[in-house]
Amino acid sequence: MAGPSKLRVLALLPALAIAVAGCGNSETPSGNTGGSSGAAAPNVQLVNAGQLTNCTGLPYKPFEFEDGGKVVGFDIDLMDLVAKKLGVKQEVVDTPFDGIQSGADFNSGKCDLSSAGMTITDKRKENIDFSDPYFDATQALVVKKGSGLDDLAKLKGKKLGVQNTTTGQEYAEKNAAGAELVTFEDLGLLLTAVETGQVDAGINDNGVLYDWVKEKTGFEVSKEFDTGEQYGIGLKKGNADLLKVINDVLKEAKSSGEYDKIYEKWFGKKPE
Amino acid sequence: MALTKRQRARVFRGVQYGIGLLIVVIFALTANWANLKNAFFNVDVALSMFPRIITVGLYNTVIYTALGFSVGLVLGLVLALMRLSTVRVYRGLAIAYIEFFRGLPALLVLIAVGYGVPLAFPGTIFDKYTALAIGLGIVASAYMAETFRAGIQAVPAGQVEAARSLGLSSGRTTSFVVIPQAFKIILPPLTNELIALTKDSSLALFLGSTIAEQELTQMGRIALNTSKSLTPVVVAGFCYLIITLPLGYLSRYLERRTGGAKISTTPESISVGGPA
Repeated sequence: MAGPSKLRVLALLPALAIAVAGCGNSETPSGNTGGSSGAAAPNVQLVNAGQLTNCTGLPYKPFEFEDGGKVVGFDIDLMDLVAKKLGVKQEVVDTPFDGIQSGADFNSGKCDLSSAGMTITDKRKENIDFSDPYFDATQALVVKKGSGLDDLAKLKGKKLGVQNTTTGQEYAEKNAAGAELVTFEDLGLLLTAVETGQVDAGINDNGVLYDWVKEKTGFEVSKEFDTGEQYGIGLKKGNADLLKVINDVLKEAKSSGEYDKIYEKWFGKKPE
Repeated sequence: MALTKRQRARVFRGVQYGIGLLIVVIFALTANWANLKNAFFNVDVALSMFPRIITVGLYNTVIYTALGFSVGLVLGLVLALMRLSTVRVYRGLAIAYIEFFRGLPALLVLIAVGYGVPLAFPGTIFDKYTALAIGLGIVASAYMAETFRAGIQAVPAGQVEAARSLGLSSGRTTSFVVIPQAFKIILPPLTNELIALTKDSSLALFLGSTIAEQELTQMGRIALNTSKSLTPVVVAGFCYLIITLPLGYLSRYLERRTGGAKISTTPESISVGGPA
């Protein structure tokens, strides 16, 4: 046998593998849409059978953060209630926030829902659906104690840190004229920049900032802006079955006192 | 076996083309073209990104890369000379540095420089350009040190011997005879490292940035959030190609010019400057 032709056969192998993989891919979607959804009492289709996949952006303490190798937090406890209702387990996936709010994570079948301390906004509603509001939040300013920076107007010419794609960033862009906005990828990096003095102040939701200054005693929340924001659970546009389950669970939890119990666990006080 | 060697080769070639065609057809038939066009080639979205994607994004990417490359070049040369030194302490330090930083993801090094240093030494705050010059420079230098070393070792030993017998000191031999020739040899691989660094500069988005400091990747991601289309990422990608394709061409050109000198990447026991 001639050596060269043998080699040619070998060269074909990768191409064959790709062709086979290509065929496989084109078939899987139709195979999956069968009856193999979560074994839940309500008729809800889950992206991964037997589990409720929750896309969130870490860290966002105390709503979702890692503690001892596990993702925990207020949002996570709430979604455990939804998972319980569906008779499945919750699986948390850490993903960049842009994927959540653009709806890409849901449309690509990565996640069922997202509890990510996410404010309900009209712009986000264009891409995803929201549950009923489950948390009231406002924007707040975190600064070094004694800096006297207690209003956006005083930040003229100073550096104000914002988290990319958040409502705090939007608020700052509209209202903090004259301040130099510095964009950070996540809350952890933003707060580190505030701590090291890379930025003079940071803007984010009040819940996470109050949690942070509890530990960092040299810093304070100097101002809250009454933005009247409300958090909602995000999910794929048009997924009415799952939306109904989430809203039912939230309603039940609020009337049974379960919500208050979870609230107190993470914020140290009962909701007002 | 009626087929001759040549016929067999032709049949196999035919099968290869057939499979290639099949793959293309499968992709073409299964893809949703309307979605694809809107997601990747939305002209309105693409046009809205100009001219800022060039004047700010491309500009900053080039600046960040140039800063990191310059620092990496100087630091890398020093490290390579240390690595080939007859002094054992220098050699050990250089090896430790190279192995350490070559083994770390560039992102971690950048975060360590941008956030770790200010935490460890309160008051030392780097602006974005300095942080990137240091961070990318550290990463680039670890790779470039090895390239420099290989280049220095590829300079024929006779060059050193000739220079020394003409009365040049060991230091002068290195500076005026060895390094210039080594530099010529390593121009093609250095160009490749410049391409790699251009792409690594996208990690700058993790350092926090003002609007004027955004580079290509970050601009693409921000536009992605407002446009509901992947087009901004495609546009940013093309901008990278504006930089990297000419560099790739330059690299191949230099390789031809220098006769494609082969340089070894395994260390040998030649030390620069000859016997001390």
